[in-house]
Amino acid sequence: MTSFDQTLDVKGAKCPMPLVKSRKAIGDLPVGQVLKVVATDRGSVADFQGWAKTAKNVELVGQETVNEGGQDLYLHFIKRTA
Amino acid sequence: MSMIEDQTTVATFSPAELYARILRDEPTFILDVRNEDEFARSSIEGRTKLTTLNLPYFEFLEDEDGCAARVPSDREVFVVCAKEGSSQYVAGILQERGYKARYLEGGYTSWGNFYDVRDVVNAAWGRIVQVARPARGDLSFAVISGGEAALIDPMRHTQVYLDLIAEAGAKLTRIFDTHVHADHISGGPALAEATGAPYYVHAYDAIHPIDMLPAVIAYTHIEEGHSFEVGQVKITTRWFPGHTLGQVNYRLDAPDGQSGLFTGDGIFLRSFGRPDLGGKGEAWTPMLYRSLTERLPTMVDDSTLILPAHFSTLDEGNAEGIFAAAYSEVRASNDALKPRDEAEFTTYVLSNLPVFPPEYVEIKRVNIGLSTPCDGTANELELGKNICALSG
Repeated sequence: MTSFDQTLDVKGAKCPMPLVKSRKAIGDLPVGQVLKVVATDRGSVADFQGWAKTAKNVELVGQETVNEGGQDLYLHFIKRTA
Repeated sequence: MSMIEDQTTVATFSPAELYARILRDEPTFILDVRNEDEFARSSIEGRTKLTTLNLPYFEFLEDEDGCAARVPSDREVFVVCAKEGSSQYVAGILQERGYKARYLEGGYTSWGNFYDVRDVVNAAWGRIVQVARPARGDLSFAVISGGEAALIDPMRHTQVYLDLIAEAGAKLTRIFDTHVHADHISGGPALAEATGAPYYVHAYDAIHPIDMLPAVIAYTHIEEGHSFEVGQVKITTRWFPGHTLGQVNYRLDAPDGQSGLFTGDGIFLRSFGRPDLGGKGEAWTPMLYRSLTERLPTMVDDSTLILPAHFSTLDEGNAEGIFAAAYSEVRASNDALKPRDEAEFTTYVLSNLPVFPPEYVEIKRVNIGLSTPCDGTANELELGKNICALSG
């Protein structure tokens, strides 16, 4: 499990909201900290990878898929770098 | 974040409207905001006047002004994403900046699942109706005559067939698959279960060629020469092995002399079905050669309408979106059918095999009941255009 400082729950949110909310949350995070985003939208896996390449202040430090009560959860660990 | 709240005011467009524009070859600018991988896997294709820009929505999140500047402001912008939400979001951003932008209802998924229904033949004895899935290049047909209906290669969304048969006031009596498909999920077994009409497929195709496991769906075996009546029309089974071991063509004979050949993945208008999707390309190629050179000529005359299960590009069809042509035309325009000896043919085939999509193995499992995906998984399995034809 990747270490993290804060958690953002975007379960149930559909595209583009997981990214819109994550982007806002990372802006409130001190530089160097890691945000764990918990999403149910499978499309978020590729989109977080694409976003991390595009955004100047974000690094994707890890992604995991876990099953919780029969539901797949997509975990994205993003670090504010600037 | 006022954009989000304003989203309800952004106009939409439907897959049917988009397809009508494409068939008319109207200039259409598509802004596809999916990520690059999804876009590369499949995207909306037009005839000659469709322009597409792929600019993922998350780039808009980072730089609205910079991204908007890359979108032409002198024409309407048709925004597309995977499911709908992101295209609505981006269309909202563009609209705020004075662009005329609309987004695709239901996103690319709804485009992939859009069906277009139109008559190929409408005669005194009845009709041949083409049911196309334009995004996938998939074709299926209904034959309606004397109050009876038969389906050839029906696809997963079965309601479209039930509706068109009900509108015609007919009863579904027979469901034919030319073969067990690898690229898309058949609607045949589900339609048989829903209506009680028999589902016909050749028994050779009821064995998964890679798993070597038999079908667990209910089907009725057909073979060379089996014939059926549908109203005033006669339908005869003709074995055409090569694409699969059990691929058959169905020959239609109408009382006015009209004939048609539902060729499945045997021959297409511009190509023919690849022989390697069972994992046995080298073994099946000689069989395909004999089907093309020896069997096919006995199934057609010059005026026989060739009615295939796929197209690769929209320009194979006419301006009305009909993907059928007389055999004389097909023979003249299908480079894949030009005379070759067996060695030339084998070289031609084996050097023109496109990529083997890994999901095709699983789709064959689904089609004989060895696997049962949920709707979401089925959508993912069927995403993108068929790759059943040779690429040559």
